[in-house]
Amino acid sequence: MVHRIEREFSFVLNGKPVKVRAPPAYSLLEVLRYELRMTGTKEGCARGDCGECTVLIDGEPVHACLTAMTQVEGRRVTTIEGIDPGHPLVRAFVESGAVQCGHCTPGLIVASYALLSRNPRPTEEEVRDAIRGNLCRCTGYAKVVAAVLRAAGA
Amino acid sequence: MEVLLHDVDVLVPRDLDEALRVLAERRGIKVLAGGTDLLVQMRSGAVQKSDLLDVSGLWELKYVRHEDETIAIGALTTFSEIASSEVIRRHAPVLAEAAETVGSVQIMNKGTIGGNVVNASPAADSLPALYVHDAELKLASLKGTRTVGITEFYRGYKRLDMRPDELLVEVRLRAEKGGEVGHFFKHGLRQGDAISVVNGAVLLDLEGDLVRGAAIALGAVAPTVVRAHEAERALKGRRLREDVMWEAARAVLRSISPIDDVRGSAAYRRELSVNYVFMTLWRIAREVGVL
Ligand SMILES: Cc1cc2nc3c(=O)[nH]c(=O)nc-3n(C[C@H](O)[C@H](O)[C@H](O)COP(=O)(O)OP(=O)(O)OC[C@H]3O[C@@H](n4cnc5c(N)ncnc54)[C@H](O)[C@@H]3O)c2cc1C
Repeated sequence: MVHRIEREFSFVLNGKPVKVRAPPAYSLLEVLRYELRMTGTKEGCARGDCGECTVLIDGEPVHACLTAMTQVEGRRVTTIEGIDPGHPLVRAFVESGAVQCGHCTPGLIVASYALLSRNPRPTEEEVRDAIRGNLCRCTGYAKVVAAVLRAAGA
Repeated sequence: MEVLLHDVDVLVPRDLDEALRVLAERRGIKVLAGGTDLLVQMRSGAVQKSDLLDVSGLWELKYVRHEDETIAIGALTTFSEIASSEVIRRHAPVLAEAAETVGSVQIMNKGTIGGNVVNASPAADSLPALYVHDAELKLASLKGTRTVGITEFYRGYKRLDMRPDELLVEVRLRAEKGGEVGHFFKHGLRQGDAISVVNGAVLLDLEGDLVRGAAIALGAVAPTVVRAHEAERALKGRRLREDVMWEAARAVLRSISPIDDVRGSAAYRRELSVNYVFMTLWRIAREVGVL
């Protein structure tokens, strides 16, 4: 048997301090889903292409699959579970029909949430740029872009 | 089959000195910056599994400074930081344009300029800008610091003038002078989040329509990024007219040796190189009002 190296990591997850033991080269995605059982963050490609595992670290969208646990120590992590279901962005996704199979939805909402926190009145161009790293195979993006613009009050 | 990293240790140095000490003492340990190349490569088996030195928290290597005629960029500066840096937008706008095209927002937030340089993909988007700005790389080790020019740093496909005990600490560029105008270009298979099929940078030093100096670099068309010296010669001392621009654009073919791969054929890359260099020259001529 190959041995497993584990260390303890402390960080703030959706506003609450957490401690977790995990191999230091494991990704935040693996630890969220398999150690902390927070399965809102989806695993798509696990290589940075699809954006499904987008989370915020200190407010900035990054891929949980490309974030080693040592890069999470002491930081603030926000996942889809940390965004209120009544948030205008979430409601706009539902009301605009921007959700079909739903697999890309958490990543898209987290990425758009980061955009709106920084830029509450984005143009369509800015919305498309902010989600260029989030693949959706169902909606053709039109309704997703419409939802983000709707949440921004456009 | 994905390689699992449960038995990989990750060391986190407190400061640069400690990082250099670990690199000197622990043979085979690999530097982890943003991890956007390395974690993917290690999990796919493209890079052999080894312990990691996570330098991503070394804030002392995250900065952009304007020092006289030089822009100094800490190796751990991310592409988001580069794209939004006032100093870079003003004094090296070609690099700011390139930074905005690196993957997605998520990749720009993690990917560092140091990682882009050391990963040494011939399609790396920051490199053409670094070539036209005559970049120098500062490498540090316990033995001291040395500086290598960007063209000397790349000895061949992914062959670098860098020792395993060295850390890239800074990228230094010549600031754009008055009269200089440049642009980055990139052809991907889609608009956002795509690896370049061909990319490049053009930086002209103009006096009216007279070309006093020209620097052109292309990526993804040879084992390393290349300067298109023949094309530069075709421009220098001439007036920026359409026939001159075509002559220069065609001359890039003498500097490149593209191959067929998953993203495009060699013939397609040759065509793209000529057309993009022409379009970029034309765009510059329009912007400065000589066309
Ligand atoms: C989905 C996706 C899209 C991408 N799109 C693009 C794109 O459009 N354009 C582009 O150019 N690249 C792209 N990349 C590649 C990658 O994001 C960039 O090359 C990035 O700059 C790598 O930086 P990093 O900090 O993540 O490097 P890491 O992955 O941490 O390291 C890369 C290599 O450099 C070494 N290294 C890193 N820093 C140092 C240092 N300071 N000193 C010594 N060695 C060091 C590491 O040991 C490793 O070998 C993409 C990657 C992904 C996954």
